[in-house]
Amino acid sequence: MIHFLTWFFAVLFVIVVAAWYLSYTAARLDRLHVRLSGTLAALDARLVRRAEAALELANSGLLDGATSLILGGAAVDSLESPDEYGEAREVAENDLTEALDVSLSRHTVDDLRARGAVGDEHLARIVSACNRVQLARRFHNDAITDVRRVRTKWAVRLFRLAGHTPLPHTIEFDDEMPEHLSREPAAG
Amino acid sequence: MRIGIVCPYSFDVPGGVQFHVRDLAEYLIGQGHQVSVLAPADSETTLPGYVVSAGRATAVRYNGSVARLNFGPVAAAKVNRWLDAGEFDVLHLHEPVTPSVSVLALMAADGPIVATFHTSMVRSRSMQAAFPIFRSSLEKIAGRIAVSEDARRTVTTHIGGDAVVIPNGVFVERFANARHVARWTGTPTRPTIAFLGRMGEPRKGLPVLAAALPAVLAQVPGLRVLVAGPGDPDEITEGMPAHVVAALEFLGAVSDEEKAELLASVDVYVAPNTGGESFGIILIEAMSAGACVLASDIGAFSRVLDGGRSGALFRNEQPGDLAAVLLALLRDPARRESLSAAGRARAARFDWSVVADQIMAVYETVIEGRLAARSEPRTRWNRLLHGGPSW
Repeated sequence: MIHFLTWFFAVLFVIVVAAWYLSYTAARLDRLHVRLSGTLAALDARLVRRAEAALELANSGLLDGATSLILGGAAVDSLESPDEYGEAREVAENDLTEALDVSLSRHTVDDLRARGAVGDEHLARIVSACNRVQLARRFHNDAITDVRRVRTKWAVRLFRLAGHTPLPHTIEFDDEMPEHLSREPAAG
Repeated sequence: MRIGIVCPYSFDVPGGVQFHVRDLAEYLIGQGHQVSVLAPADSETTLPGYVVSAGRATAVRYNGSVARLNFGPVAAAKVNRWLDAGEFDVLHLHEPVTPSVSVLALMAADGPIVATFHTSMVRSRSMQAAFPIFRSSLEKIAGRIAVSEDARRTVTTHIGGDAVVIPNGVFVERFANARHVARWTGTPTRPTIAFLGRMGEPRKGLPVLAAALPAVLAQVPGLRVLVAGPGDPDEITEGMPAHVVAALEFLGAVSDEEKAELLASVDVYVAPNTGGESFGIILIEAMSAGACVLASDIGAFSRVLDGGRSGALFRNEQPGDLAAVLLALLRDPARRESLSAAGRARAARFDWSVVADQIMAVYETVIEGRLAARSEPRTRWNRLLHGGPSW
């Protein structure tokens, strides 16, 4: 009888521990997925703001016609790309980064700065928007790294704790600040 | 914005992290934000109004040096109370892997969390030992900041993922307006150089400078070497040639104001540190004050000096190279002038107004991500599972 009870409690203990561990891991994974959905939404919002800032600069009349077309075109492509993060979105954002870099050449930047407050304001908005895109993308990819690490655990795979949520992939596109905006304002 | 900042090291003793936290908090308060700082401190220490003491710190040997930290159930309860009372929009933890109040806050909190990593420790055995328990708490950090590339490398190798590099800040103006003091200002026959830091600590590099001095004094016999910082001069000068000892002038520990004046007055500021520096805030202070900087070419210094464009570099731990570069600078006032001007321009990048804006952008990104995420039920069971404050 005592022998039976010992076994009974031992098995019960193992079951309780296993249940706690699974529940704990599921909650941990859930928290990570919550974080992930937030960082993705934040990145989306930041990208939209960057595209809007670029579009406003393109339509401001401060740039020459050809540059306006290049920048405006890339900004509209970014705004109109489908909401979800597929290859199309990454390509569109890559193109916008490139268009910003090409449009904001040394001459254009100097020219905009020479126009005083209006030009400075446009440039400041783009610098801020680009900076925030970098932050949002990095924090989102950090969250993805964390999610992917937890999802490789045997318990998560064996008990399908992640449900049917697809394994997320890091979002990769060039988010460098336009070269001539990151340089320090001309000394003096 | 309501911002909670946690500093793991005691406010009783000065230190880089403490200064960073203090300056950041004061700058943000000046910008109209509500800031509360939680840090260990003795009850006798007078604290600024925005600092809440987490209790007395205990001196503990951790990660190779003695740190004054705060831990245990009493501290944990204090952290919980502070978090509950603060209702912060964002929680900013410093050194979240140091076993002190930052770790306790990380375990307990569940709002938007930003963490700043300061150290460029090579490795930490205790961190690796406790990692499995720690891992899930670290996943709560939504935005990671490293103060330097070296600190960022620590994050990527030990914790995984990445961090944005936002440098330490300096109130450039406090140094830029420092006046020149006649007794520290060099003359053509008696130029002055300065060394700052604990002289007894070999990694601060005073022995390297001392070894370089005979060669320099042979060419510039009137050189005056001003040594500022705590330490026992007799211990340092033991075994040095008499003419080298005669060139040294010990100022003892100096106030912040004196430090700024010293840096503004001397011909060359020498930073011969041999390693262990993750950032080099002193170089930025020196550049702000308009000093011509000569530093060892360790990674952190070389990056702050923009690869030698904003200050001169010598090969680390090579007194011969230090002597040669120092002599060249002492003989070339025009070059000193141009390095000083380049240094001032460089230092502007590290002004708190620039740095705090970048930190604010991180706060906003993290808060935005949190607001966009679906909210989860805060049941007691859920909190237990999440490792949050249980009740």
